[in-house]
Amino acid sequence: MIYRIVHKTTYRYKAPVSIGNHTVYLTPRSLPKHRCLSHRLVITPSPATLSERTDCFGNREKFFSIQAPHTELIIEARSKVSVGESKLWPAQSPAWEDVAASMPFDLTAEGLEAYEFVFESPRIRPGKEFAAYAAESFTRRRPLAEALLDLTSRIHSDFRFDSKATTVRTAPEEVFRKRRGVCQDFAQFQIACLRSLNLPARYVSGYLRTFPPPGRPRLVGADASHAWVSAYCPGTGWLDVDATNNIVPSDGHVCLAWGRDYGDVSPVRGMILGGRDHTLEVGVDMEPLEGE
Amino acid sequence: MISELLQIPAPGPAVYNEPSPDGVSPRPHWAPFFDTLGEVGPEEFVRRWNRAERRIRENGITYNIYSDPLGAARPWKIDAIPLLIPQEEWSYIEAGIIQRAELLNLLLKDLYGPRTVLSGGLLPAALLFGNPAYLRPLAGVRVPDASYLHLLAVDLARSPDGQWWVVADRTQAPSGAGYALENRTIVSDVLPDLFRTCNVRRLASFFRAQREALLRLSGVDNPRAVLLTPGPYNETYFEHSYLSRYLGLTLVEGADLTVRDRRVFLKTVEGLQPVDVILRRVDDWFCDPLELRGDSVLGVAGLVDAICSGNVKVANALGSGAIETAAIMPFLPALSKDLLGEPLKLPCVATWWCGQDYALKSVLDHLDRLVVKPAFPLRGMEPRFGADLALSEKQLLAEQLKAHPGQFVAQEQVALSTVPVWEHDGVSSRSLVLRAYVLNTGESWVAMPGGLVRVAGPDSPLVSMQQGGHSKDAWVLSDAPVDTFSMLRPRHQPVEVRRVGADVPSRVADNLFWLGRYAERAECMTRLLRCSINHVRSANEAELECLMRLHACFDSRYSTLPKGTPATSLHLENELISLMTNSKRPDSLMSVLSDIHETGNRVRERLSNDMIRLLGQLAESVKVEEYMLFVEHSALLTGCLELLAAFSGLERENVTRGTGWLFLSLGRRLERAIYASRQLSGLSGSLDRENWPLLNYLLEVSDSSMTYRSRYFTTLQTVPVLDVLMADETNPRSLDFQLSHLADLYEKLPRHAEGDLRAIRHAVSLIRSFDLEALNVPSPGSGSEHSGNSEERERLGRSLQELTRLLASWSDNLAAHYFDHARTVAISIGG
Repeated sequence: MIYRIVHKTTYRYKAPVSIGNHTVYLTPRSLPKHRCLSHRLVITPSPATLSERTDCFGNREKFFSIQAPHTELIIEARSKVSVGESKLWPAQSPAWEDVAASMPFDLTAEGLEAYEFVFESPRIRPGKEFAAYAAESFTRRRPLAEALLDLTSRIHSDFRFDSKATTVRTAPEEVFRKRRGVCQDFAQFQIACLRSLNLPARYVSGYLRTFPPPGRPRLVGADASHAWVSAYCPGTGWLDVDATNNIVPSDGHVCLAWGRDYGDVSPVRGMILGGRDHTLEVGVDMEPLEGE
Repeated sequence: MISELLQIPAPGPAVYNEPSPDGVSPRPHWAPFFDTLGEVGPEEFVRRWNRAERRIRENGITYNIYSDPLGAARPWKIDAIPLLIPQEEWSYIEAGIIQRAELLNLLLKDLYGPRTVLSGGLLPAALLFGNPAYLRPLAGVRVPDASYLHLLAVDLARSPDGQWWVVADRTQAPSGAGYALENRTIVSDVLPDLFRTCNVRRLASFFRAQREALLRLSGVDNPRAVLLTPGPYNETYFEHSYLSRYLGLTLVEGADLTVRDRRVFLKTVEGLQPVDVILRRVDDWFCDPLELRGDSVLGVAGLVDAICSGNVKVANALGSGAIETAAIMPFLPALSKDLLGEPLKLPCVATWWCGQDYALKSVLDHLDRLVVKPAFPLRGMEPRFGADLALSEKQLLAEQLKAHPGQFVAQEQVALSTVPVWEHDGVSSRSLVLRAYVLNTGESWVAMPGGLVRVAGPDSPLVSMQQGGHSKDAWVLSDAPVDTFSMLRPRHQPVEVRRVGADVPSRVADNLFWLGRYAERAECMTRLLRCSINHVRSANEAELECLMRLHACFDSRYSTLPKGTPATSLHLENELISLMTNSKRPDSLMSVLSDIHETGNRVRERLSNDMIRLLGQLAESVKVEEYMLFVEHSALLTGCLELLAAFSGLERENVTRGTGWLFLSLGRRLERAIYASRQLSGLSGSLDRENWPLLNYLLEVSDSSMTYRSRYFTTLQTVPVLDVLMADETNPRSLDFQLSHLADLYEKLPRHAEGDLRAIRHAVSLIRSFDLEALNVPSPGSGSEHSGNSEERERLGRSLQELTRLLASWSDNLAAHYFDHARTVAISIGG
């Protein structure tokens, strides 16, 4: 499946911004069965400097700076990505307790890379309440992959999608209390659950293909950024789960970046001088090109 | 006295007493010190020390105690008796801390690079991955010559058997080297004879090497290096300003810097100037609000990107705080063998990181003998001494350890060695920790021969300046001739002598401008107050009315005078005292004096020591004692006026005419022009009345009575007084003088605004356009007055009011033009 994705972010400021520095995570990752065929970033007004770095998780981060006064900033990322169907869900996996216990001692490159995602991060603090919620799925000696699916489906049924209930800064504790939120909240909550059991879990930022109601045309710009969770299973690798939709991501999910939590990979952030109040508008359009 | 200094502390656990093993006879290397001290004698010693303490207060050597209800700055506490370290012992310490600096530098290089120490099992990965001080955005970023550490501080403690142990490392922005230098200056000044006798190794060449190392780090010719401070509210701000002056670096705050085109620039009144090296005293996380901590107002947005692009070097490298934890100590012996290929020379005090099962077990078994600390200091927690905990507290702590073992380290509690501390109420023996410093010169590592000795409070086992401890100088006694190179310039040297690197950041210009305004405001207020206080008691009705007009010159929004009903002289008396002494009133003299002190403190590295001393004295100068007679206030004001005059004298005679001085003088002229136009407004409103008392007061306030008398030999008349106070361009207190100087000074500013210059020039010609003769009021009964006269009087009144408004908006324009880009705070969006 090949997608053309246009992700447009518009900031409008009440007063002119004299200088703005921004970092964006808008470049799709290239992975096995997931190739970024082309990518272009169009910024208006055009930035004085633009540089690209690969961050410590292998994501491509772009930094740019606008140094002339402006009252509107448009960041448009155009990408073409080819996505294959994901590998089969493992029929067998180790007991979750064994995975948790082995992580500190796995000094292989893969093991160390995964171990980093066991720890507390700025926006996700593991805690007893999360462990208790997860315990219902992570019963004694249950295989990790099976427990993970169970947890995903429980979050899906226990939590309600509500875009008004939370903001980008809402902590997992509050999401848990409200049992409401959006994909970002469910992902961070699920990560909190897994890490509270000492299991490695990471936050994945990307896009999800949506389908129009039967008989209606696809609406341009109706799609949105998406987020889901990837958990580490020794022997198999990383297993993706999407609690928002209670599915295992396959060729409908496009991955931009992953990190410990939303803060590591937020698609657009910046520091501005001036500007006072601002409004933000985000539109994502994900168009399948072929392979249907 | 000497026998007291040798004494051993009261019974308790056995400790190493530095000056004497038995409390009677000194150790050999202390003997010459005590001999010479005996020759100085206790009386002379006390006399000298009193002088030194006064100097500490007046020089404003301070250490800010966080959460101090009494206000931020406390005088630095130091005592005269240094810690003596013989050369042989020092060589051992020196080799140990230099090796440690090399090791820690390599460790940082590995942790931010290939991480072989993790895959090799030499350091538990949890200490990196679970460490909030590990800055992921800096992982993989190349640091030139791998110089992660520019300066390392090592805290050392001596156990009862005489062995030195490392108790802590300061790897990101080590503090205290500047205090060590200031301590040295003070103690060697008090005890010059002892300093010579003991052949003490000097500190100056260490700081010269530091300056050179910073410049070399830039990798460019003629680099611009700055010292980045969190600002005057930081605990060690004094040190930042002191070091910046000593090392010849411009002292900057985050808002002074900006990133353009992936380069860091300093915002100066002359425009943006590129910065090549930043010696930072801002903690890791706060350095870049964009990529590190979004809520930081201390850093520079885009700094991380500028570092990645190689356009700026930061010392110590961002991220070096990741190993500022005792949790790495258990692993250093193995790391030393692996990274350096040699055993660790200087041992660390026994330390357990509880994240390992066997360590946790051992800690839980021996909690009584251990001190428990957070493994990651960013998470915050006071050290807990197992021995001091009640059983229930100990159980609680054990529970915490078991619940989050990786978050804790435990260290053996060392019975610290003791030194005598001399205070006015006697000698006491206190525990000490020595903070030693190692510098990376780019080619090698050098240790500061000496360091900062910190001693515990009288009843505290903790050695912490935050908790009210003392400090001391440390003398390394050389057995060879010492290098007497000195970097200190003479003390009475004027500011801005450096012709290179004399950038004036916009924030500094802002503060200097306001320092000028506040100093002049204080002077104008003091003169008005003194005159009013001198006359109010004996005033008749007409005089009281004139004094009320004088009071209007304060333009006070917080006046205590009754509104609606006429004020009595008692009302005015109370108002005057309130204006002078009520520190809760923002417009009182007391408040203005503290504004001067605070503003001056923010630019202290730009002022001479004499000026700083005056600032300290000024802040104390109108402290009113209880039951003071009313008239005595006048004498207090005269004293204050003398200090203000001394300050303006130093400003005029001892400050070089750089851009900074221009702003200081502009502030002064502007403020005096404002007061002059208010005073003249008061006069112009009463031209047609009997107003000689007011004339008299105004001449007195303007210190122009003599000028008037020598010119006119006559009773007071309005027009000649107006001439002296308004039009006389030779009288340094006249309005004309202020305005024309304001224009001349402003014209000298780099990139001044033509419109603003014209506005002031126009005001000068307006003032000069008045025909003073035409303002004359005819004497009663002389018939009709020329109708033009009253029009001209009205025009004068209007013009003076307009001028007051113009001056206020002119000041705003100046601020917008020169300072505003330094005042804007960046805000974070998205993310």
